Amino acid sequence: MQVNKPEDFYKNVSKALAQPDLKMIIRRTTDKAEKKRAEAIANFPEFENARMQGQKVKDHTIKYMDHYLAEFEKNALAQGAIVHWASTGEEATKIVLDICRQHKAKKVTRSKSMLGEEIGLTHAFDNSEIERIETDLAEHIIQLAGDPPSHIVWPAMHRSREDVVKLFREFHLDPTYSEEITDLVRSARRDLRTKFLTSDIGISGSNFLLADSGSTCTVTNEGNAELTITPPKVHIVTAGIEKLVPSMAHAVPLLRLLTRSATGAEITQYITFHNGPKRANDADGPEECHIVLVDNGRTKMLADGMEEMLRCIRCGACMNHCVVYKHIGGHAYGSVYPGPMGSVLTPHLDSLEVANKQTHACTLNGRCEEVCPVNIPLPKLIRSLRARSWQKKYEPLTNRFIVQAFAALAKRPRVFQLFCSCGVVFMKLFSRQGWIKYMPLTSGWTRNRDLIEPESKTFMQQYRKMKKAKSDGV
Amino acid sequence: MNNQKSDMSRASIFSAIKNATPTITKDAETIQQEALEILKESEFARPKLSSDDATEALVLRIEAGLVIGTSCEKISALDDLPASVNQFLGKYSLPQELKVQGIDRLQKLNWQGISTDIDIQKDNTVGLCWAEYGIAETGSFVVHSSTEMPILLNFLPLYLIAVIPKSKILHYMDDYALIANEIAKKGETPRNMCLISGVSGTTDIEGVLVQGAHGPEILHIIILEDQ
Repeated sequence: MQVNKPEDFYKNVSKALAQPDLKMIIRRTTDKAEKKRAEAIANFPEFENARMQGQKVKDHTIKYMDHYLAEFEKNALAQGAIVHWASTGEEATKIVLDICRQHKAKKVTRSKSMLGEEIGLTHAFDNSEIERIETDLAEHIIQLAGDPPSHIVWPAMHRSREDVVKLFREFHLDPTYSEEITDLVRSARRDLRTKFLTSDIGISGSNFLLADSGSTCTVTNEGNAELTITPPKVHIVTAGIEKLVPSMAHAVPLLRLLTRSATGAEITQYITFHNGPKRANDADGPEECHIVLVDNGRTKMLADGMEEMLRCIRCGACMNHCVVYKHIGGHAYGSVYPGPMGSVLTPHLDSLEVANKQTHACTLNGRCEEVCPVNIPLPKLIRSLRARSWQKKYEPLTNRFIVQAFAALAKRPRVFQLFCSCGVVFMKLFSRQGWIKYMPLTSGWTRNRDLIEPESKTFMQQYRKMKKAKSDGV
Repeated sequence: MNNQKSDMSRASIFSAIKNATPTITKDAETIQQEALEILKESEFARPKLSSDDATEALVLRIEAGLVIGTSCEKISALDDLPASVNQFLGKYSLPQELKVQGIDRLQKLNWQGISTDIDIQKDNTVGLCWAEYGIAETGSFVVHSSTEMPILLNFLPLYLIAVIPKSKILHYMDDYALIANEIAKKGETPRNMCLISGVSGTTDIEGVLVQGAHGPEILHIIILEDQ
């Protein structure tokens, strides 16, 4: 499958809208997630307090990020981990590959981490001599299919059961011939078992970095993180620097918010804190532990007044509730992070120049902010990126002309009203039985739906008429 | 070369943070105080338990089906454990073979014909572990990696039995975080601290929940009342 680019957003969207089943497939998962989240919040009357507490934990850590980063490093080193720093995704990827090569690794297992996708780790392995084995079931499916993820929680949500049947029959050593979902999961279990136990290096992300202990933390439903990390001799963690929290006690409120917001479950089945390599007499565990701390645009967000975005705990609630995401799906955004959070993150990870169109693919209905577990004002951030995009002149010339023409008209009320009156007449020329199927300059709307015929008079004409009738009546 | 690059990146990250937040220069003690203030809100920001008694709250949570794939029972003495395990094996028609954590109190029991050892392999059927703690809020048991506790014991078997001493059942995750902090102060932090709340599950194919994705499909928690 060809990987979409963020700069081709409009093309990607047209491609997505042309796929007849895509909307149904997306809604099957996101509607369920939306319903289950609502139930979980209804059963948690303290949710608003939890949300405020979660926001405070993140804001506090971001405010003192340098202090907590230094604390984390000191404590992780004391636990016996080796800490690496990477300013960019390329640097982080190089560090990981170099560690693998130093250990002459032939195959690595990887537990799902969006940061790994963000820094291009998957592609880097695919272009190397080292075999990459994804162990999260959804990542396993998209690895077999050659797809990028389409959602941060359910990366394979765009793939149907029929697709999975075909993929497993083609790639599994001992595939199932049943089409039952339980049997498909068993097939993946059989296929991955030996791979877990024979991997040279286990790679994971970290949902939280605990500053006071130097711990990393994995959160999964499948238990694949522990199976990825424990058997190999080396564990490599890649984590964004915004994952910091002061302590385990500060991670707890965020754990309460994370799963309720992501899947509607009250908690995930497996939360594991990892503290350096195995102790001298431990029964199992890796002998070496590397932690790669990655900036990749995060300090730029801090400098650009986008620090509220650094609160994000990657639950995916904003995309599950986004009317645009539900129509076009994750691939159209052309980025690892789709939906509202992606519209803010991608301009910082790539650049606003290539990802400014995503900021316009937003109705500003505010649903994302309403459901965000850490109160990120996504519509405000999206609006501010739009403003920057305008100032930097990234908008297409036609858009700039239309907005400037509107501004010129809006400053001259009489001309504006005259223009509106002509507009009503013009629109009526294209109207048939109350609907406009085609009209110049409106193809973006009329391509997929009709435009309603306007009232006979403009708003101001109707307003004046109403006012006059009222005063006549008096 | 890599170390040098990593050091340069470290310096550049710290300098970028400093430039972005030039006015913030508080001392470590003030920062710690502010961090502790936030934790005072936890009491009002966590769910109410169904019982004031942590054990009862944990049991009620499991019995209400809120912990995926999990059942529970109470036993009054450790000597009753083999009989309970036997019943569990019978219920699921499982072989009389058990992978048991290598601690004396479990190894020394009279297992009534059930073979027990600690040699964990990829296709083991049933595992038995001794949990360090239980957490009522989430229906979790907690295991710590050690010489006697291979982490894989909790992930490779398809069926898992976890024994939790009643005295070690905590109300909230916050209570466990305090204990973890105490362990850290003693310099005894284990490599892994796993909070396990139900069985391995996935909804990755068409949103349908399937148990036993990679780890256990069935979990049975036995609460030991004499501890």
